[in-house]
Amino acid sequence: MRNVCVVAGGQSVWGMRQASERDMFQEAGKAAFAENPAITNKDVDGLIVGSAYTERCSFQTHLAPVVAESLGIKPVNICCRVELLCATGSSGIILADAMIRSGKADVVMVIGGEKLFTPQRWEVNYSELASVDHDWDGTQGLGLPPPVFSAVAQEHMKLYGTTEEQLAMVSVKNRRNGLNNKKGQYQEAITLEQAMNARAIVRPMKLFDCCPVTDGAAAIILAAEEKAKYLTDKPLVYIRGTGQATLHNMSANMANWSTWESLKIAAKQAYAKAGVTAKDVNVAQTHDCFTISEIIETEDLGFCEKGEGGPFVQAGQSDFGGQVPINTDGGLLSCGHPFGATGIRQGIEIMHQLRGDAVRQVEGARIGLTHNLSGFIAAHTVLIYGRDLA
Amino acid sequence: MSIVEGKYSVTMDMWPLQSKEMTRIYPFYDNLKEGRFTTTSCRDCGTRAFPPRVVCPECLSENLEWVDLPLKGRVLIVTEEEVGVPVGFETPLIHAMIKLDDQLTVFARVMNCKMGELKEGDEVKLVVYPVDPLPVDGKKGAINLQERVFYAFEKA
Ligand SMILES: [Zn+2]
Repeated sequence: MRNVCVVAGGQSVWGMRQASERDMFQEAGKAAFAENPAITNKDVDGLIVGSAYTERCSFQTHLAPVVAESLGIKPVNICCRVELLCATGSSGIILADAMIRSGKADVVMVIGGEKLFTPQRWEVNYSELASVDHDWDGTQGLGLPPPVFSAVAQEHMKLYGTTEEQLAMVSVKNRRNGLNNKKGQYQEAITLEQAMNARAIVRPMKLFDCCPVTDGAAAIILAAEEKAKYLTDKPLVYIRGTGQATLHNMSANMANWSTWESLKIAAKQAYAKAGVTAKDVNVAQTHDCFTISEIIETEDLGFCEKGEGGPFVQAGQSDFGGQVPINTDGGLLSCGHPFGATGIRQGIEIMHQLRGDAVRQVEGARIGLTHNLSGFIAAHTVLIYGRDLA
Repeated sequence: MSIVEGKYSVTMDMWPLQSKEMTRIYPFYDNLKEGRFTTTSCRDCGTRAFPPRVVCPECLSENLEWVDLPLKGRVLIVTEEEVGVPVGFETPLIHAMIKLDDQLTVFARVMNCKMGELKEGDEVKLVVYPVDPLPVDGKKGAINLQERVFYAFEKA
């Protein structure tokens, strides 16, 4: 088996964009090549494209060849699309890693994105009925995730005494982290008071507890170590371990709402393959679709004890200077969440952190983690990256 | 005028296809129309699955039978959605985690209920209501409407 490195990454501007799906895929691809000019579109022998809503919001299936043609990429080993809703991007990275590790490809671009702002706003909300179990959860009006995460938050508060202030502290931290992220949806800090007094979406989730709807795309390039060594003179960042687990899909089959068992399984797989534990992680990007999500993730990834996620953020342990800075680029709460691009954005931020050239740098970071959640907390994807091989 | 004006598209249909021509689990909807809430249970290994299947998710047997689920349950958690409910639903959109029996807890919509009215511990009962009928191609350009229903819960 070969070793796999991340050699470049970039993204389009994210937000409510005056641009089409294919415009943004071109912007993201160009940004990835521009970030490391040693690599060109001619070097890429595999292309994995991620998009969840390409059919629903852009009326385009068979997206990978559209993107390849747009970016002048002529893949010879793989050219296809992957989809796992919110974890589409990290799924693409896992597959690219496997292709390269096994020798089926040498240099693979994983590019993902979404055009979610359609001319009429109701459509994207309506399309969310296709993201959940359409026949059994969508029919209950559960297309939009907030009711589910509200129930999760209520249960966590009841069991562990987590407070609304602790939820709000997650969004205050992540908005602050995103302040200088020029490609993110928001570059605007919020105060604890603003977060606490914001209008309710589904109590206890208020406006700043929820990530927004976002247009955008992101691209990352992976290469076999021996290729990477001559393709780039930047510090090499290795993919050390991956895990992706699911135990249910429909809400009725979620056994435990406030402990995410499939997250724990995915993390165990990734840690074992990487030969590290939660204590070794220096920086993490976790799926903060809602503030409660990040709190539970810090617990179930093993950064703190079960039930201590609230006190963990309150004590600044997930902030710069704490035990493990989380969502250092702003996370979903500040960058936004174009489903197919989020896992890639997380990987790009970890690449920068481990190289030492992040906008907000965690000093001396050697091991980074990304966690991507999808659906009704139905599937979890964890990747571990390292500045070193072992 | 749009070229799809007046046309039905399944990809924009909120509701599942329920008829014998469209799904093998049509008895669920037939039973629902009679006020029964049912699912499939495996005659070989005894696993009762929800939602209903055509293959047992435990032993993969196709030897399944329809069984009745409780029509009443107890509320564990209430959520009240005040902003951004999907088109076709009214604000506030109220959901509850409802324990039906030791094996099945659903997260479902509670109809006919105002903000603040539903509380943890309340008893709720199944309610079956008509939803958009399905327009199906008939002979010589005719469109036949098939009745459909769905379920939610309301305070008992
Ligand atoms: Zn069985």
